[in-house]
Amino acid sequence: MRDDREPERRPGRRGVLLMGAGTLGSLGLAACSGSGGGGDAGAAGDPRKGRITVWSWQGPAAELKALVPEFNKTYPDIQVTVEDIGNPAIWDKITAGMAAGGRGLADVLHIGVDYLPGYVERFPGGLADLAPLGATTHKDAFAPGLWGTVSPDGKRVNALPWEANSAGFYYRADLFERAGVDVEALQTWDETIEAGKKLKAKTGAYLLGIDKPASQPDAANFFQMLLQLQGAFYFDLEGRITLDSPAAVRAMTLIKTMNDAGLVSDLAGGWNALMSSLKRGTAAVLPWPTWFGGVIEEQVPAEAGKWKVRLPPAVRRGGPTAATVNSTHLAIAGSSKHRAAAWSFVEFALTRPASQVRIYRGKGIAPALMKAYDDAAFHQPSAFFSGQRKGETFLAALKAPSPAVNYTSDYARALKLVTDAQSKVLLKGADPAKVLRAAADDLARQTGRKAAR
Amino acid sequence: MTLAPPAPAPARTKAPAARPRRRGRAAPYLFVLPALLLFAAFKLYPIGWSFVMSLHRTVAGVDTYVGADNYTRMLDDPLMWTALRNTGVILAVQVPLMLALATALAVALNSTLLRGRSLFRLGFFLPMVTGLVAYGIVFSVLLNKDYGLVNWLLGQLGIDPVPWLTDGLWARISLGLALTWHYTGYNAVLLLARLQTIPHELYDAASVDGAGAFAAFRHVTLPGLRPALLLTTVLSTIGTLQLFDEPYVLTGGGPDNATLTIGVYLYRNAFTYFDFGYASALAYALTVLIGLLGLLQFRLLGEKP
Repeated sequence: MRDDREPERRPGRRGVLLMGAGTLGSLGLAACSGSGGGGDAGAAGDPRKGRITVWSWQGPAAELKALVPEFNKTYPDIQVTVEDIGNPAIWDKITAGMAAGGRGLADVLHIGVDYLPGYVERFPGGLADLAPLGATTHKDAFAPGLWGTVSPDGKRVNALPWEANSAGFYYRADLFERAGVDVEALQTWDETIEAGKKLKAKTGAYLLGIDKPASQPDAANFFQMLLQLQGAFYFDLEGRITLDSPAAVRAMTLIKTMNDAGLVSDLAGGWNALMSSLKRGTAAVLPWPTWFGGVIEEQVPAEAGKWKVRLPPAVRRGGPTAATVNSTHLAIAGSSKHRAAAWSFVEFALTRPASQVRIYRGKGIAPALMKAYDDAAFHQPSAFFSGQRKGETFLAALKAPSPAVNYTSDYARALKLVTDAQSKVLLKGADPAKVLRAAADDLARQTGRKAAR
Repeated sequence: MTLAPPAPAPARTKAPAARPRRRGRAAPYLFVLPALLLFAAFKLYPIGWSFVMSLHRTVAGVDTYVGADNYTRMLDDPLMWTALRNTGVILAVQVPLMLALATALAVALNSTLLRGRSLFRLGFFLPMVTGLVAYGIVFSVLLNKDYGLVNWLLGQLGIDPVPWLTDGLWARISLGLALTWHYTGYNAVLLLARLQTIPHELYDAASVDGAGAFAAFRHVTLPGLRPALLLTTVLSTIGTLQLFDEPYVLTGGGPDNATLTIGVYLYRNAFTYFDFGYASALAYALTVLIGLLGLLQFRLLGEKP
């Protein structure tokens, strides 16, 4: 090892002082830039004037962009820039902005139900309280249960609901017909698995697809849907871990049964793989929520009339077939200097039925705003879905009682452990009860939460 | 002409040149000050602050001092050990293979038998200037199981599709391949630079002594390369321990954490779980580990005193 000390060049006392002062000065500088921003940026600004930026992703971003000219007819002095950040990139970008005390964040943020509690809990003040801006007046305008998501304590309003997605069951009617299966008559997932075997034997098509190695976190969407159809989730309402509840084991066992019977195609690679599989017709069922209908129409327009949609079969005979599996929201950054102008845009986009109808017609994004459903758009027969009234199917689900879901601030950790457990089951044939118990133990260790057993 | 008697030595003890003026002494520090300020603001401060963060845990938005809890938690965290084991495997398998390949490449690129040497050197170095994320995406497209070019080519040869990124073992192999493609040329160029400083007389002497090509490589080239080998080993070790971009883009650390590295795990804790305290603790543990391994390598490979 070399010795780096060179005694004859040691700085004099004054030099050291100078250096120290310099270091202190820059530390102070850095500290200043670290604080500030924060939760309160003073006045909310002018509700009719300002320049605001909106962050969203893909389809929803395009729809918000398309809404701006109409918005500007009412609010000519608010300049709106909608940026498509992409999903999941948007979550990292919001996190980084929040961690920097709101620096660089957009004014309006599109946030999913899976991330909202995390941001609220980890970054208090990161999202503006919408109650003083007038959000509470819209309390009863949204689908039942959603107000609890955006305003857990009933006072502070963290965001306003936009999309409300119910569990769906999109299927290729032509394939099932060839297999001689009456899909509308399927009451449980056990029956569906038997139907899937017939389907595979007659047509060669898989029942459904799962991203088995979990290249994307949403690989667990199907598992999560099966859980929610039983009124269960990863956490109970007290925040205790329920990853290895009987309902969870039941859901994972169903998935294992399907996989062992060779009914599950591998969607390794995430979204792109899903799209290719859709175009190739690899699987006959897409157990995706409301918003996915628009994606199918867009991706395979030539298959109009071959597709149908229904609510998913129950997990247990006679059990519920409706579940609100996710919602997304628009929030306003606490650091925004144009909170009032941002609120004008959020209110225009989310509480005005005409805006939501327009968005639904564009991309099939289902609103949480109940009044929007009065529009004919939700009650017309859909040519693509074989003349079915798709909008009414999901509206019925939205009106059905859906138990409250507690995502907690540790949802991302739980989801990761669940996708890993699912990969073990699907790729290595692991025992569902065992891997879920191990996942619950890991989650308890990582978060300090208790497992409810 | 008489010579003047030699002047008596001056009685003054104060010699003006013996002591530099104070202003002159401060000048060097003034010159380094701007760099120092920048370093303090953008390196020292975050480094120091992340240590403070590593002693805290955020509960409901409030930072709570938890002492060494984040550090002891690491010992009991199976994922941390998985990440460490994965990194260890890459270190033990991929790095030696890559450096051997780089050495062979350097010797080949140094050979006078090779025409168009500069073209080859450029070609092998080019991967290094490719953006990390760009090449990660290119590899993930090439290696896609169902739609990738590699499996299509294998299919033409009648070979079944290989689950490059979706099976634990194959995902590790793919990661190793990507890393080797990216860094071999860079290491080869470092080794080549050293190779060119080995005096030719040594090879002449070796051949006079009857050494063949292999003996000359073993007894002349390798000892001559020693400092460069040390450098490339240490750089590769540090790079491997900090490995992030490739697994993040290629596999996201999966499947089932088969390619999880400490870098990916750290990132996930900070930016997906918002657990900055634990992420900072992981970063400090990583730094200590890199320091220890670096020290060990210097001891083993460095110049003997």
